[in-house]
Amino acid sequence: MTRERVVVVGAGMGAVRLAELLGPCAGGPAVTLLGDEPHPPYNRILLSAVLEGTHDPDAVAMRVPEAVDLRVEARVVEIHRGEREVELADRSRVPYDRLVLATGSIPTLPPIRGLVRVDGRLDDRVHAFRTLADCQRLDAAVPAARRAVVVGGGLLGLQVARALSARGLAVEVVEGGDHLLRSQVEAPAGAILARDLRRLGTAVYTGARAVRLTDDGLVLDNGFTLETDLVVLTAGGRPSTALARRAGLDVRRGVVVDHRLRTSDPAIHALGDCAQHGDQVTGFVAPAWEQAALLARHLSGADVAYAGARTVARLRATDLEVAVLGDPQRAAGQVVELSNALAGSHRRLVLRDGVIVAATLVGDLSGIGLITQHYDRGTVLGPHEPAGLLRGDRPGAGGPVALPDDAEVCACAGVAAGRIRACSSLEDVKAATRATTGCGGCADAVRSLLAARTLEGTPR
Amino acid sequence: MTDTHCPYCSLQCGMRLEGARRLEVHPWPEFPVNQGGLCRKGWTAPGLRGHRERLTTPLVRDRATGELRAAGWEEALDLVAGRLRALQAAYGADAVAVFGGGGLTNEKAYQLGKLARVALGTSQIDYNGRWCMSSAATAANRALGVDRGLPFPLADLEHTDVLVLVGSNLAETMPPAARHLDRLRAHGGHVVVIDPRRTPTAQRADTVLQPVPGTDLALALGLLHLLDAAGAVDEEYVAARTTGWEDVRRAVASWWPERVERITGVAVAELRALAERIAGAERVMVLTARGAEQHAQGTDTVLAWIDVALALGMPGRPYAGYGCLTGQGNGQGGREHGQKADQLPGYRMIDDPAARAHVAGVWGVDPDALPGPGRSAYELLDALGTDTGPRAMLVFGSNIVVSAPHATHVAGRLAELDLLVVADLVMSETAALADVVLPVTQWAEETGTMTNLEGRVVLRQQAVRPPAGVRSDLEVMAGLAARLGSPVPFATDPEEVFAELGRASAGGRADYSAITYDRIRAEHGVFWGGERLFAERFAHPDGRARFVAVDHRGPAEPVDAAYPLHLTTGRLLAQYQSGAQTRRVRDLPDEGPFVELHPALAERIGAHDGRPVVVTTRRGELKAPARVVDTIRPDTVFVPFHWVGANRLTNDALDPASRMPEFKVCACAVTA
Repeated sequence: MTRERVVVVGAGMGAVRLAELLGPCAGGPAVTLLGDEPHPPYNRILLSAVLEGTHDPDAVAMRVPEAVDLRVEARVVEIHRGEREVELADRSRVPYDRLVLATGSIPTLPPIRGLVRVDGRLDDRVHAFRTLADCQRLDAAVPAARRAVVVGGGLLGLQVARALSARGLAVEVVEGGDHLLRSQVEAPAGAILARDLRRLGTAVYTGARAVRLTDDGLVLDNGFTLETDLVVLTAGGRPSTALARRAGLDVRRGVVVDHRLRTSDPAIHALGDCAQHGDQVTGFVAPAWEQAALLARHLSGADVAYAGARTVARLRATDLEVAVLGDPQRAAGQVVELSNALAGSHRRLVLRDGVIVAATLVGDLSGIGLITQHYDRGTVLGPHEPAGLLRGDRPGAGGPVALPDDAEVCACAGVAAGRIRACSSLEDVKAATRATTGCGGCADAVRSLLAARTLEGTPR
Repeated sequence: MTDTHCPYCSLQCGMRLEGARRLEVHPWPEFPVNQGGLCRKGWTAPGLRGHRERLTTPLVRDRATGELRAAGWEEALDLVAGRLRALQAAYGADAVAVFGGGGLTNEKAYQLGKLARVALGTSQIDYNGRWCMSSAATAANRALGVDRGLPFPLADLEHTDVLVLVGSNLAETMPPAARHLDRLRAHGGHVVVIDPRRTPTAQRADTVLQPVPGTDLALALGLLHLLDAAGAVDEEYVAARTTGWEDVRRAVASWWPERVERITGVAVAELRALAERIAGAERVMVLTARGAEQHAQGTDTVLAWIDVALALGMPGRPYAGYGCLTGQGNGQGGREHGQKADQLPGYRMIDDPAARAHVAGVWGVDPDALPGPGRSAYELLDALGTDTGPRAMLVFGSNIVVSAPHATHVAGRLAELDLLVVADLVMSETAALADVVLPVTQWAEETGTMTNLEGRVVLRQQAVRPPAGVRSDLEVMAGLAARLGSPVPFATDPEEVFAELGRASAGGRADYSAITYDRIRAEHGVFWGGERLFAERFAHPDGRARFVAVDHRGPAEPVDAAYPLHLTTGRLLAQYQSGAQTRRVRDLPDEGPFVELHPALAERIGAHDGRPVVVTTRRGELKAPARVVDTIRPDTVFVPFHWVGANRLTNDALDPASRMPEFKVCACAVTA
């Protein structure tokens, strides 16, 4: 029997994860990755850190198992479902038994006049920020630039803004909605972020739309003109569905998949940013990887169902603390909230039947590890726990104050405070009780007990 | 006065014994490992001598009454040998299994392997050290080419800059070792403790990370990611002394800190701070212990932490590198001399023809007569009494029904045996199930060598005469071997056995041939392989260490709605292992098991400190008092394993390489 041929269109995060999970299995399918970029697969979410200079650009390449047939600059132009082949831009064809669409998303071009020049190319000042090539082009433009405008106040926009700021540019952020991160967080949280950004030297314009790029700069609908050397477009993306649509697959916002991640053609699956499961289209790595894991098991013969994603969105930018669990704006439930305008933090949990279904943490991430664990595991919390989580309660490091006589001081030898108090000196303690002779950890406590005894003038 | 060593953990603290009838423990300040320090277990070690529960006569289960009755040595050994021969005649050599322990002296461990391979001809031998250090052993062999717990003396800890303890609670499990932490900090060094519980060790640390149980591997991958991102990898060292970095580098590109945070529960800021600290330090020492190792991904976890040490260029550098903090008293020596299913003396592999020829030559038998590799400890127990498994088992130095994972199942397998023989000093829970119980000498009543966590071979010397009626394990083995018609004799004098062990190990990875009792006495112990390893080369043929790319799979049994909490297990200061010895020492507190849980969890389930709670897993349940402490993660409970109960709960999922069971994490439910 010949091995099943799994062909993956795309070589992004989800595709690589699938290949990694399928690749090394003996007797598993033969896997081909078709990536349209010129680079071997890399970790896309590290690009803003590369731009910022905090991540070595040579350290973004991702591992693809040797058994996987990886092809770069292999752009798929057509799916021939009847023949079960995909056609590449060079007209060559790749046959498949199972096809996986992992085409990701494509950046939205906002309606700003002047972005595209008369010859159809982007203005030299204008940058997208999705691919390694985008990152390299922007990186190369930074040294000659003094000012930058980031269009879009979402997660990516804020990361890029912080990165450019760290590179020494004067940065301004333009967000059409009434607050930053408007698709993730509520207005008070967005306001805190705007304040933080301004404190860090970045100007923020919310409720303002960029309408025109001229030689003078970027013109906003509020009448401002932002003089700038760079315009970075981070105003979101949409699922890349053109290929699926042309092939006649069921496509709404994304390529529609069922709980086995099958499209309307049972030989074709889709995962990641390009897929739509129920009403959900996601734009994060974690759900794409969950889907990859599920699909890998499914392709290996297991019958497992996808139940939707639990997302945790984190802002990866120096000095901006943001975590968004689930969809706190739309999730229904009881709300426990702690806003501290003085410290600039906004922390909000949405619970249903004691389970955290969504959360916003801005300006203070203490307890994030445990909150995320509870969210991911669906832990049923007691009535006082959410407030404790929001306060970020930490165990106190209380020292030994006025120990009662029966309090154990030396665990190694099992000696209580009273027996120490009954001794006259450290040598006496060692000889009579063996305290301090094991790990030595109680030496300070023993000394202070002996010292206190001397002060109190306990008779010998 | 007799210079000797404590009967318990892998520090093998030096101590002096005085007296003939009442043994007294005195400090031995000149012995470098503990410099006179002892914990209460050591001070009270003579408490078992003359104990009313001490066995002094062989016991044989009476067929009519089902009870154990006293028997003479001749009767007991004749009976055992006769039954073993009959079973082997009917079902083949592998019908008999041998189970050893990491507390046995080198001489006993060696002789037990020889008993199995030569006198019984069975491949079915393994030991409880499989449940202790096997993941670290497997990882060190793969990465460094040799497995010696610490490749440097313990005192080197004091001279490093950053000490990272992964899953070690040494302040409780080996208290005198904690002095080194304090001295290191007094010198300005920095101690990092990684443990789901804020243990007494963590209380002496500068940095404490409390990850979700079973996620130490992801934490290491996250550190590697950050080290690479920051350009902190020692490229010169990596190029000159290692192979495999590029593969690891690409693998860790997908372990960015936010992903690690979601899995481990360790905040990004904490991870970054640790990465920066180790990146900036001149000397970093990474030590793993059971917390990191006793997992179904234990080997990979250790490999990932070795990768961290290698990326920083540490192994082989003075006062830096990687090591494993061995647990059992002779955990190191116990795994070197042939009681492991796949090994012959000298850490030789049993499927290596040259190794077989050498050892068979020393033993005076035909190499082809030696059996091949057998089953690992848990797999061996799991096979007992099955159609293809052993029908009889000899147990030396192990209390299986307390220490094995999924203990109820294991007790059920033991019950299916035609013959269970247990050699022990007291009526342990396992001895109580035996058909024949053989009373043996203990610690101060016998002489033998132990190899401590540093690879230092030390000598335990006899200080008192054993009680009448008991025999040494070596005598028991020799008696059985003779009755089984062994082609070669079995020595009973420890020094003679040690000399033979030296010849058998000569040229192997753990070569003892140059070590003698006299040298040990004169030098305060002798390191096999030298005091410090890896300064010039690693033990692979090309002299290079191996980076190994590994991935985090997570616990074999993830939590779910029915079993929403993590259960982890471990040790307490005042008890040791299955407690067969320490629970009988009057001066050690024996309060029974308890369930440690966080106040938030206690409030949620209505538990109160000191009142009973019930812990349930898919394998069993345990009722024990709650101990409510804010030092444990709120999603985790802890139960000490010194008593019957904890291991009825634990998971028997095994590491694919080391065959280590997943003692340190499984899913549980807790109710008040």
